[in-house]
Amino acid sequence: MASDSSPARFNNTPSSPDDSAFSSPIGDTISSPAAGTSRRNKRGRGRSAATPPNNHPRFAGSESTPTPLHHGGRPPTPSSTSEGAPSSEAGDDMDEAAPTFVWGTNISVQEVKSAIQMFLKNFRDAQSQGAEIYEDGKYMKAIHRVLEIEGEWLDVDAHDVFDYNPELYGKMVRYPLEVLAIFDIVLMDMVSQINPLFEKHVQVRIFNLKGSTTMRNLNPSDIEKMVSLKGMVIRCSAIIPEIREATFRCLVCGYFSDPIVVDRGRISEPTLCLKQECQAKNSMTLVHNRCRFADKQIVRLQETPDEIPEGGTPHTVSLLMHDKLVDAGKPGDRVEVTGIYRAMSVRLGPTQRTVKSLFKTYIDCLHIKKTDKSRMVAEDAMEIDSSTQKHDEDVEFDEAKLSKLPDIYDRLTRSLAPNIWELDDVKRGLLCQLFGGNALKLPSGASFRGDINILLVGDPGTSKSQLLQYIHKLSPRGIYTSGRGSSAVGLTAYVSRDPETKETVLESGALVLSDRGICCIDEFDKMSENARSMLHEVMEQQTVSIAKAGIIATLNARTSVLACANPIGSRYNPRLSVIDNIHLPPTLLSRFDLIYLILDKADEQTDKHLARHIVSLHFEDPELAQQDVLDIATLTAYLSYARNHINPQLSDEAAEELTRGYVEMRRRGNFPGSSKKVITATPRQIESLIRISEALARIRFSETVEKHDVTEAFRLLEVAMQQSATDHATGTIDMDLITTGVSASERMRRENLVISTRNIIMEKLQLGGPSMRLLEILEELKKQSSAFEVHLHDLRNAIATLQTEGVVAVHGDNVKRV
Amino acid sequence: MVGPMYDCLANPLGAIRLTFEKAVGSGCEPSAFDGKDWGALDVFREFLVDQGNLSQVPVLNSETLKWVQPNTLVRFRGMVQDMLGNEFYAGAYKDGSGWRTNKFGDDSQQPIDSSPDVRVWERRLLYCVPVPGLNTWAESEAASEATVTSMDLTSQQRDKRQRMDAESMDYEGSNIVLEDSPSAKRMREDGHPSLSVQLSDLKPEGPCSSTMMRPEVGDSPSCLVKVYDTRESELKLNDIFEFVGVFTIESEPVPADDGDDIDLTTGFRNDLVHLVPCLHCIVHRKLAVSDFLRSSPIIEQSKHVVMNTRESLLRHLTMLLGNDGVAANYMLLHLLSKIHARVDNVAVGKLSLNLTCLSKEALSVFGVQLCNALRNLLPFTDSIPLTVNYLNTACLGPKKDYQRNRLIGGTLQLAEGSHLTIDETQLETGTLNSVGIENARLLKDLVELQKVEYDFTYYKMEMAADVQLLVLSEGKSNILPADIVLPVRPSDVSRPEVVSAEALGAWRWYLATMRTLSHTIESEIQEVVEKDLVAARQADRRIGSKEFSSLLTMGRLMSLSFGETTLSLEHWEMVKELEKLRKERIN
Repeated sequence: MASDSSPARFNNTPSSPDDSAFSSPIGDTISSPAAGTSRRNKRGRGRSAATPPNNHPRFAGSESTPTPLHHGGRPPTPSSTSEGAPSSEAGDDMDEAAPTFVWGTNISVQEVKSAIQMFLKNFRDAQSQGAEIYEDGKYMKAIHRVLEIEGEWLDVDAHDVFDYNPELYGKMVRYPLEVLAIFDIVLMDMVSQINPLFEKHVQVRIFNLKGSTTMRNLNPSDIEKMVSLKGMVIRCSAIIPEIREATFRCLVCGYFSDPIVVDRGRISEPTLCLKQECQAKNSMTLVHNRCRFADKQIVRLQETPDEIPEGGTPHTVSLLMHDKLVDAGKPGDRVEVTGIYRAMSVRLGPTQRTVKSLFKTYIDCLHIKKTDKSRMVAEDAMEIDSSTQKHDEDVEFDEAKLSKLPDIYDRLTRSLAPNIWELDDVKRGLLCQLFGGNALKLPSGASFRGDINILLVGDPGTSKSQLLQYIHKLSPRGIYTSGRGSSAVGLTAYVSRDPETKETVLESGALVLSDRGICCIDEFDKMSENARSMLHEVMEQQTVSIAKAGIIATLNARTSVLACANPIGSRYNPRLSVIDNIHLPPTLLSRFDLIYLILDKADEQTDKHLARHIVSLHFEDPELAQQDVLDIATLTAYLSYARNHINPQLSDEAAEELTRGYVEMRRRGNFPGSSKKVITATPRQIESLIRISEALARIRFSETVEKHDVTEAFRLLEVAMQQSATDHATGTIDMDLITTGVSASERMRRENLVISTRNIIMEKLQLGGPSMRLLEILEELKKQSSAFEVHLHDLRNAIATLQTEGVVAVHGDNVKRV
Repeated sequence: MVGPMYDCLANPLGAIRLTFEKAVGSGCEPSAFDGKDWGALDVFREFLVDQGNLSQVPVLNSETLKWVQPNTLVRFRGMVQDMLGNEFYAGAYKDGSGWRTNKFGDDSQQPIDSSPDVRVWERRLLYCVPVPGLNTWAESEAASEATVTSMDLTSQQRDKRQRMDAESMDYEGSNIVLEDSPSAKRMREDGHPSLSVQLSDLKPEGPCSSTMMRPEVGDSPSCLVKVYDTRESELKLNDIFEFVGVFTIESEPVPADDGDDIDLTTGFRNDLVHLVPCLHCIVHRKLAVSDFLRSSPIIEQSKHVVMNTRESLLRHLTMLLGNDGVAANYMLLHLLSKIHARVDNVAVGKLSLNLTCLSKEALSVFGVQLCNALRNLLPFTDSIPLTVNYLNTACLGPKKDYQRNRLIGGTLQLAEGSHLTIDETQLETGTLNSVGIENARLLKDLVELQKVEYDFTYYKMEMAADVQLLVLSEGKSNILPADIVLPVRPSDVSRPEVVSAEALGAWRWYLATMRTLSHTIESEIQEVVEKDLVAARQADRRIGSKEFSSLLTMGRLMSLSFGETTLSLEHWEMVKELEKLRKERIN
């Protein structure tokens, strides 16, 4: 049959008897009255002799087995991309022209068939090409496997189809109903060639389309096209048994009819017994046991939050699942669905044939993939779904170019929470946390974490929480909790009883859920002691072990912890030491790589900055204010690329610098007069330093850690604790030192004072002898060193230091040597 | 009556179809009109705008619903409460030899078979409800609005003032004297406890009873609006729109998509068919607060008039607050506040007010007065009595009901520019359950961030809100951290004065107009401000960015209250003075 749209041949008027009977999607073909094998039926609604046995129709209400007709040499007619579009030909034959057009492109069954055969037989993965040329192709192997396990479907990656034959891919996406039906036939042919006795019907399931759309963008032109979209399952209907073949029995004579196949969603019930002898009218009754049913399920899919524009509510779409796809998704699952978008007209009433002008739309599901699961096993949580897809070469190139900028470190720092003003060093630390160091697993089983933990301690109102929230927004796997509202089990894992199955199930807590992400804990200080102690294991071993209710498990919790806390007594007390102010157990404290003290200093300059910042917030267009910063999308793309591709190694030079710096730090910790209240360097510190320097190298996309990375790491560590401002003698932070920047001379003076005081005490006091009054010592001091003024206050400090050294004992104003 | 050939009012579909046939007749293919207009809108725009016939279009409410004929032109003012997604329909189809259209209508006379001669078009379904907390005066004025001079599709905000005619002023005046009659009664019936009701009876409410059916119990009905050919960004959730279009009655589209119901082969339908009024929108425009005002006597925004209005309004507020001038000043600024920018999590421009030192007794005296006054001043107001019981049972946040496939608007789903009074004086010790904690958190988020979390069961979405929040409490509210905490010092309690309609109209106009003014700062003043802020911080380390922010907001609002668009030194000094007085009260 030629494609020429000759009006005579397609004499198809709305009164055509078998046409108005079904409610079918628009654009469906019209079965022409032509009979026999030349019947041009695209959807293959009727069965002809040429149809191979196809007992598993793919689509509801429409038996999709096209008659494999060969229209060789069909003249290509101008193709319209949107199906069902009336052709540009005006006039009377519009009615008949449209179906021709669906078919009337350059698709010929033969060509498609051979293309599919070639694809299935010959497609090989890119990497396996060449060497294994004599092996079977990827899909031949897959078919064999399907046969072995007696599977019912063959998953076909649409990317493979595209790589092998882009033309075939295009046809498949545009005319999925036809092409997939041919696909099935080809597959069945091949199956029967390999194993003629194989009885099951194998279907093709296409997945991983090249382009995926969003629910919002589905529009009338997508109807009858293959689409792929992501969403969240919100409702599943019960499984509906859908009749496929019906058998009737005559109530009068007991004659069983032949199985009657569903035709366009209807079963024509015989009105009279077919048995010649009986011929009773209206006596046929359905025999359920002899009917064949297929599973069907209707699932509602809803948009995920990231696809919803501002000021909108999520859209939903219905999915139709068949056979094996039934129950593939449960409410709450994030899935990626590949299917055919279809529309169906709505009838006014169940018994009426008139239809409304409305269409119901749904997606005939071909393949469903749970994205949530894959996200859980994804190697790195930092890679977000969208960025992985658009990670083309040019994007990589962009990032590489970006990384070559000399000021990339500063630029990234600026781009991090640009609305939080200043706190640059804190932001640098957070940047390091985002990029992270290298996790190392030694063959002996020992492992070193690569995640950097940060604690922010500071005065109220220093925008700690905003920083936390920003980081949380930036890291897709992050969990944000507040210490006050978190319990120990809520952070780690808990056992609960499933209300439906009554089984005990393990539910993951925040730390486990943020595996390979960042767990942000606000109000760390307000957390219960019990909950905090759970963090010990997580922060070093990076696992969570639980043993309760018969469940003993160790869960991975490779998470970076970002916590923030107020100092004890809400405000930083400069009279107390740093440790006393933070008031956390040293065991926990040492697990934080960086501890930032964000102090609210009475500095006019900073106040001015703050004032200007807020004034501009109120009176300027906030869009204009920030320039030269990277937007969040670029930032995350950069981040995920760096985390995935860059694994820096320590250079020798850097290693040397590390050793040197560490030794110096230890020495400083042993400074005479230092008490236990100073945070001294521990082996943990050197690990932290390595991690931070690795992160710094990663920021630059550098494969080696250079010396200046290490220097910067040391600087960050020092800045973090404001160690430069810490008085090592008393362990307190010298607030004046921070604000005025007056240097170490003051400390030298105090050290001298301590030394000379000690000398005097050694001279004048006998071990266990009589005590001496403070004022007397002061007199002595003044006599000895006339060079500088000595105050009683200074002396008290010096004596206190000596007391901690165990040289003297003080009772009131009396000093006694012990 | 209208154009020479179209009767837009009584037979809009006829006009639409005629234009369509004309367009097709002139040689255009129907496929060219996919998502496009063929000239029908021009006809209606001409009819409504150029010929000024908008006022002839009946407003859809419970009254008019009784007699409005299907397939006639109506208009509806409401808030977009939910979006029900897109709907595909046979937009154009071939009937015999000619093309016909179904746009803006639903009734296809003849069965549409599955012929290829059907163009499938799409339209958006919006579920609109009357604006929550709409006060009676605004409602009645909308209904009897005399003239609207222009109506355009681009729906830009315009502040337009219409001349108020004499008879409606009388009407309005009577409305005031009747104090809390119509609106308060309605509130009571709705189970929306107004303050006065709460004082007398504290009946426990069933969960959601007050909020769930809100659209249905109001005076005007909710309406399903079908919008054609608009960009998605144009219509947002919680925006207030006026829709003009073809009225039909339809079964609710909810069950149609329901799980078991989609059964493709049998076409089985749920028997429960809800009939809802439906409007096929032809033109729509976004409404601002000022659109709810009747024309006001002031046409020129002269400085003199603004000053006078400000003075008289301030006097009125002072009187309401028991002769407390400071509180009245703060109240004025509070009523003018409006969010004008959002940077990250900071909503710039909000000024929530917490009036403290209010005991139950004091509140019974002027709390009710205050609420009534606010109701008369602002078009959309609502109030929440904060009791433990209320927190534990109420549905504050909107929640998606997947059974009905409908967003259930909580009390906090409010239109932009609404005013919400939270009465905390009723709060007594008690235990909050999980609902209560969640509700308290929602309120706190609203006060701090001006955001409301919408619960979609599987995830939550934050929606930006712009609500003026007034908290009345005995001490400083712990649940609701307002920007300004102010102890009220009422000195004498005066009887509520009878306010003239002119004054009321002027105040409404003043409040609606002043808050929309734009505002800038000169560099000299900016320096002064910065210096002052630094000095304040040097003096008191507790002052942080939050305090700076509210100070600047006050400065902005203060100059806006004088109708100025730049901050002047004088107004800045006034703000500082006010703050000083407030600090003195706190300490």
